[in-house]
Amino acid sequence: MLADALEHLVRGIVDNPDDVRVASRATRRGDLLEVRVHPDDLGRVIGRGGRTARALRTVVGALAGDEPVRVDVVDVDRR
Amino acid sequence: MTSSETQPVAPSPTKRLEDEGEIAADYLEELLDIADLDGDIEIDVENDRAAVEIVAEAPGALKHLAGSHGEVLEALQELTRLAVQTRTGERSRLMLDVAGYRAARRAELVTLAESAIAAVRESGQEVALDPLNAFERKVVHDQVAAAGLSSDSRGVEPERYVVVLPA
Repeated sequence: MLADALEHLVRGIVDNPDDVRVASRATRRGDLLEVRVHPDDLGRVIGRGGRTARALRTVVGALAGDEPVRVDVVDVDRR
Repeated sequence: MTSSETQPVAPSPTKRLEDEGEIAADYLEELLDIADLDGDIEIDVENDRAAVEIVAEAPGALKHLAGSHGEVLEALQELTRLAVQTRTGERSRLMLDVAGYRAARRAELVTLAESAIAAVRESGQEVALDPLNAFERKVVHDQVAAAGLSSDSRGVEPERYVVVLPA
């Protein structure tokens, strides 16, 4: 559910919604949701000073309730 | 907007705000569906802004979508404004509320502002309030202005606070 919710939130704020991918990985520190977007949309998803990425984390964290979850916006060019 | 020929093409400001509300409602509606949360979306236009509220079907059911200090609400509003901007190409000043959180908070802040105004009038000294977010500061500034006093915002986010000044 969390990955789907995050994918929806991100798809709505980018110019290339069909390029949005969210992968969910279980880690020792809880679930990690990795967001990948079209390189042109990276700045939009991160936002000024990381503001948009922070908003995504806050909303996903609220939907997750008590379970720990991390959200990582992956820079495809660099990894 | 400069020549009369373009006028029929430009949508009226109210229509534009209603469209903002519709886009926001679609974005939020689908989020509620995915998260399996029960809520209705209400759209309005208030003070030249689109006003969108997620109304809980059961009291308290959507509390976590506001957050204990409204932080989730602010984040959701930010994302919703971006979703509108992505579709319209224009910045949105849309106001989002969840389960009456902002309305209740506004009432608390009006009370807070009134006691600060009374204290300033009595002492003739400025009174500084605790840090508030942008929405909360605006409520206080409006209340102070209505009382015929002036106020300032000082400090840097997230510690920015309002000072009520003596007349």
